[in-house]
Amino acid sequence: MGGDQEKSVIEKFLEDNVLFLGPDPEIMEDHSVSPTSARELEALQRFEDADLINLVRHKLQTACNESFDMVEQMGAAPGAKWGDLISGLWTMQGDLAMASMGGVLIFSVLTQHPCKFILKYWKDDPTVGLRPGDIFMHNDARYGNIHNTDQSLMIPVFHEGQLICFTGAIVHEGENGACEPGGMPSAAESPFDEGLKMSPFRVGENYQFRRDIMTFLQNSVREPKLQLEGMKSKLFAAMRMEARVRDAIEEYGVDAVIATLRKTLIDTEQETRRRLATWPDGKVRTNLFADGTLRENCLIKIRCELHKKDDELIIDFRGSSPEFLNRANNTVLASLKGMLAQEFLSFVWPDLPRNQAVFAPMTVLTDRRSALHCSPDAPNAQSMMTFFPGFTAIQIGVPKFLYSAGHRATDVIAGWYNMIVTFLYGGVNQYGELVGNVCADLNGMGGAARWNRDGEHSIAPIFAPMADIGEQELIEEEVPLMKIVPHRLMQDANGFGKYRGGHGYQQIATMKDSSMWGYMCCSIGSKFPTTMGIFGGYAPGCYPLCKVRGVNVFEVMKDKRDLLRFRIEDIMNDRPFPGAKYSTHHMGLQLEFANPGELYMITQGSGGGYGDVLEREPEAVARDFQDQLISMNTVRNIYHVVLDEHTAAIDHAATQAARQAERAARKQRGKPYKAFVAGWETAKPPADIPYYGSWKERDLLYRGSPDDTCPADAIVSVMMRNPKDVRIEALEREIEALRGAQ
Amino acid sequence: MRRVSVDIGGTFTDCFLAYDGQYIEAKALTTHHNLASGFMEALANACAEVNLPVRDVLSSVDAVRYATTLGTNTLIERKGPRIGLVTTAGFESSVPLMRARGYGDGLSHAEQTDLPGADRPKPLIPIPMIVGIEERIDYNGKVCLEVDEDNVRAQVRKLVDQGCQGFVVALVNAVVNPAHEKEVEGIILSEYPTHVLGALPIVLSHRVAGRKAEYSRTMSAVLDAYLHDQMYHGMSSLEVALRQNGYGRPMLLVHNTSGMAQLNSTHSLQTIHSGPVAGLEATDYLSGQFKEPNIIATDMGGTSFDIGLVTADGVKFYDFNPVIDRWLVSTPMTYLHTLGAGGGSIARFDRLWGAVEVGPESAGSDPGPACYARGGKFPTTTDANLVLGYLDPDNYAGGTIKINRRRAERAIEEFVAKPAGLSLIDAAKAIKRKVDANMANAIFKEVAVKGYNPKNFVILSYGGGGPIHACGYAGEIGVSKILIPPFSSVFSALGAGNMNQLHIHEKSLYLMLYDATFRTVLEDFTVFNQTVEELEARGREDLIRQGVDESRIQTRLELDMRYGNQLAQVSVVSLIDRLQSPHDVISLLDRFSINYAQRFGEGSQAPEAGVRINVIRVVSFVEHDKLTLERSTASNDLKPVARTERPCHFAQIDQPLTTPVYDHTAVTEGMQVRGPALIETPRTTYLVEPGWTLTMGKMGSALMVRDA
Repeated sequence: MGGDQEKSVIEKFLEDNVLFLGPDPEIMEDHSVSPTSARELEALQRFEDADLINLVRHKLQTACNESFDMVEQMGAAPGAKWGDLISGLWTMQGDLAMASMGGVLIFSVLTQHPCKFILKYWKDDPTVGLRPGDIFMHNDARYGNIHNTDQSLMIPVFHEGQLICFTGAIVHEGENGACEPGGMPSAAESPFDEGLKMSPFRVGENYQFRRDIMTFLQNSVREPKLQLEGMKSKLFAAMRMEARVRDAIEEYGVDAVIATLRKTLIDTEQETRRRLATWPDGKVRTNLFADGTLRENCLIKIRCELHKKDDELIIDFRGSSPEFLNRANNTVLASLKGMLAQEFLSFVWPDLPRNQAVFAPMTVLTDRRSALHCSPDAPNAQSMMTFFPGFTAIQIGVPKFLYSAGHRATDVIAGWYNMIVTFLYGGVNQYGELVGNVCADLNGMGGAARWNRDGEHSIAPIFAPMADIGEQELIEEEVPLMKIVPHRLMQDANGFGKYRGGHGYQQIATMKDSSMWGYMCCSIGSKFPTTMGIFGGYAPGCYPLCKVRGVNVFEVMKDKRDLLRFRIEDIMNDRPFPGAKYSTHHMGLQLEFANPGELYMITQGSGGGYGDVLEREPEAVARDFQDQLISMNTVRNIYHVVLDEHTAAIDHAATQAARQAERAARKQRGKPYKAFVAGWETAKPPADIPYYGSWKERDLLYRGSPDDTCPADAIVSVMMRNPKDVRIEALEREIEALRGAQ
Repeated sequence: MRRVSVDIGGTFTDCFLAYDGQYIEAKALTTHHNLASGFMEALANACAEVNLPVRDVLSSVDAVRYATTLGTNTLIERKGPRIGLVTTAGFESSVPLMRARGYGDGLSHAEQTDLPGADRPKPLIPIPMIVGIEERIDYNGKVCLEVDEDNVRAQVRKLVDQGCQGFVVALVNAVVNPAHEKEVEGIILSEYPTHVLGALPIVLSHRVAGRKAEYSRTMSAVLDAYLHDQMYHGMSSLEVALRQNGYGRPMLLVHNTSGMAQLNSTHSLQTIHSGPVAGLEATDYLSGQFKEPNIIATDMGGTSFDIGLVTADGVKFYDFNPVIDRWLVSTPMTYLHTLGAGGGSIARFDRLWGAVEVGPESAGSDPGPACYARGGKFPTTTDANLVLGYLDPDNYAGGTIKINRRRAERAIEEFVAKPAGLSLIDAAKAIKRKVDANMANAIFKEVAVKGYNPKNFVILSYGGGGPIHACGYAGEIGVSKILIPPFSSVFSALGAGNMNQLHIHEKSLYLMLYDATFRTVLEDFTVFNQTVEELEARGREDLIRQGVDESRIQTRLELDMRYGNQLAQVSVVSLIDRLQSPHDVISLLDRFSINYAQRFGEGSQAPEAGVRINVIRVVSFVEHDKLTLERSTASNDLKPVARTERPCHFAQIDQPLTTPVYDHTAVTEGMQVRGPALIETPRTTYLVEPGWTLTMGKMGSALMVRDA
């Protein structure tokens, strides 16, 4: 047997003896659009009139929107109700060609993977196959989508025995049987703590779910009702879309549908390239830091270099932090790409269609086993804690290209607020049902300041337009989560600037009428801002999770109402409830059971500011002061405006003098660049802060201490200690010390 | 029957007079400075047709009915008073934040998706005019924190010190327990009593909207308070004008709930969009009279295209959270979908798709289409229609608007034909086809998403722009019958003349019919029956207050039901008005199941997840006499004589076709006109496309049928 033949035999043996079909890097790491197939080429040649294709496209787009409405209406998950979903059409090769106009944009670029997996592995597998009426589902983020709380369902559409496309929907369903309720467990220490792990698999035939599989899935989660309703809503929406595809085939012919889907991808990629080509060539670098893993404080570096050349953009994250093998904050590369695409689809070219071709001209470089390109062994339920800062890293870099770009589709902005500051919950509701999910008000992220005006307060998440923060009356009707303050615009919680960012809000939650109720919280940014201002604008402030335990605020309401406070800062500063325990924490809270009337309080950051504070119109400062958005301290010491405290009347002469004085003071404080660098730079990261990622050289990564490093191309994954063990050790040391002192 | 009904629109005031068997349509220009002037002019025009003085007519009619869009202008122009909002402490930011998504409410999809460019509208209530009072009621109506009178007084004074001209009191969970809102009202009244000059009106949220959801309910109350003065004074001046001209009865106002009531029983919020809703109500009536059970009503104007639905199963479609101007509110408004497509929609070459696109940008009526020669330089749907030969430059809108073909050609050449590499005519054809497809897709989605097959419907086309495009969009959907209604140019006014006096009262509740967790079916019917009784009593009081004989009052019970915790609340008309046995519960569940399957597909129901009622709604009404709208069965071989003919171009036909042009008076009842043909009326043009045949009916109605 010759060498080649021998190799071939071995390859065949290996191919035939795969332990199981895990996530396929060939599928998962490739975000390009599949090459046009022979069948698609044939269809394009037969059906080439752009205006007719446009009519077919509009019809199919209407079908996507119709099915989106269906899922939103029929779904029971809070995510479905506020639009954390899309419905779409995938080509016969599995590329997402069209998506509903509503919903979460991030899905536009990362839903192709399960379809491609089905085509690659199941279509021709005699034990599985791909037939009309088959229903496939998937939720494991390592096979696509963002995190395991998202469930996708797709059905193939055949015409005369030939696969034409897939229709389906992806929804943030919430509860998925993970180690914590709600579907996004920050306590997960391995992928096996993250609940349901559906690789793409068939769950039904002939358009009906198999009851044994449905039962298995319902049995695996805390909310079997939710699982049932979620699956049904997606299936009937996909079926409705299939019917519309059939209508289009009947009206225009099968070639029209195949050609339209393919042409949509081709045209989109070409347009994106045309737009990129109008940007100046060059490089822009940004560094951001995630300030924790949700279990402990640390600095996790997100290093980003944007390199634009001709009609391509290279986004280079090499040098970012290593992955954390027992923390949930790692990102699957495909999820990162989905989030990065969001920048272009929402914040740079919101007029572009929603499909994966938008991101095709981008190249993303990462180190394998880094926090932004984690291995399948690392949990990823809270990947937002690294890919949201990753998103912001490019968001604050892109304006430097847009500044002199030839084509702008919208306003140039600073950094949007990027954290999901809300509560996840789990427990028994007032009707005795076991529930676990997330509150919709994570959708109210503060808008960034713009080149010509302020940002809007708590307006939209970075991942979806027209998202809803919901209505408190409806929330507390279903779950015992009573918000004493649902959303209050907090004074001075702002990214200051010539144009300020939109404010964030604070909320005070408590529980009423439950026998068992717990909270979780999953945000970073309590120590280091997660978003930034640009061109001199400020980053937002950093805020902790605050708790008041050992109080029942409903008792206080009954007979000690003078103790009540409605602002977090008043409660934490005044400490009005005798005997209660007041504490502050980072905003990573693992499931913690609470008693009725205890207070859990969180505060959002804001959008970043744009431009120098000294250039802000004094009238705008006065208006913010009247609206109680900023304090007199900010008026005086940030904006250097002189106002009457009672009438907000501006003293223009005094303001001019104050600003001149501040400019002079700035010059005094200033240093030549070289002197600054000399005083600022150190050879290694500080020893007193656990630091992860590169420092000076991109190819050497630090693993939590100045003495612990690994090469970027051979990352050694980080294992963190259990914070409880750390705490126990510290307490034991204290006890030892106390004993020693006796 | 002697009855006057009027619909005041943005441009025209339409009047429909029913007088001893005669039906008269008349119009006048809307006089925004004083609506009574246009109103009386339209009425005078109608009276002239029956050769009677206005006073004689007004003194003898049984009712004057009135629909208006007046309120929308007040909102857009921010002409309302300085309102102060009293809300629950901790909820002061709810209105400024508008549920986050509020920035995009009332905007086009393109504007909604542009997050960097997103701006919230200028607030109706600025932040300093919002105060929180220390009180709290829980989801179940239980008081957690009592109202503190001193606290309320202090906060209210703060508002008054800042120039407050009226209060909205919107407290959390007031719909399940309104005690605190009433208490605050009492405190404000004791501070600022009504007998004092300059008394401040107070609107309580639970009286305006009966549903849970604090933001949308608060906005309902805010809009109500904001519009109140303008609406009241506008309506009162009308009533005065009517009285001075001999009318002695109360005027009836059309509501957007498909009913009407006297001025003293109308919230200003209920009048918004009442004109288009009256049109849909007329469609509902026509459906019965013409024996066409499934109708898609389409109303195409200069800037918008309204779509409504009437179905054989009698399902009432509501929009429970309509957006009024830019504000999401809570009120059961009859459902109408408005698309930004009209004669003014701008066409362009879309580089991305290499194809012609139309809208959503619109040239509106000012500057209007390029052919209007009023400064508009972009090509519009109207320009394409002119170039294709459908419009007569010398006789457009009855000769009231001069249009210039050369300007239309130039605009299409520059912005569409050249960049697309098309000839002028092919570009105009592409525009026509795209705008028809846009409307067809919007219609299709509206009908399909409710679970109906659009192909089983007849399209009703009215409004100035509709009849020129009806064959186009009907063809795109696959609908083969188009109905032009009688009196189509004043169809909404006709609808106003045909409505019932009606009030809707609804209440949020959490009533499990089937509890899936504990596998129990509702056995205690007290809450259900008491709630229905309470709502019936409120409706009865409303109607009796207006002088209605109690024995004539009818009710319809509607339940908004859902499976599990879905968002979808399917409205079910209940045939049972009191629950008396588990059998009644099961029959309700069955009825819900049928309605749900109709909408989302058989098998999509999920009773395993539990079934609950979220809202109980009682519609209380009194039937009024109806107009008689007869469908013509006449058919004859008489051929109308064409006034002229001209070449027209059609989308899928290469060469132009010589197209006869008829004056509408030449086409009488029973005559048939085969397409291609144009029939011109003073207010619109009917385009009968090739492959379609029009048969003229009574009272200006017509039927267009596509060849089999």
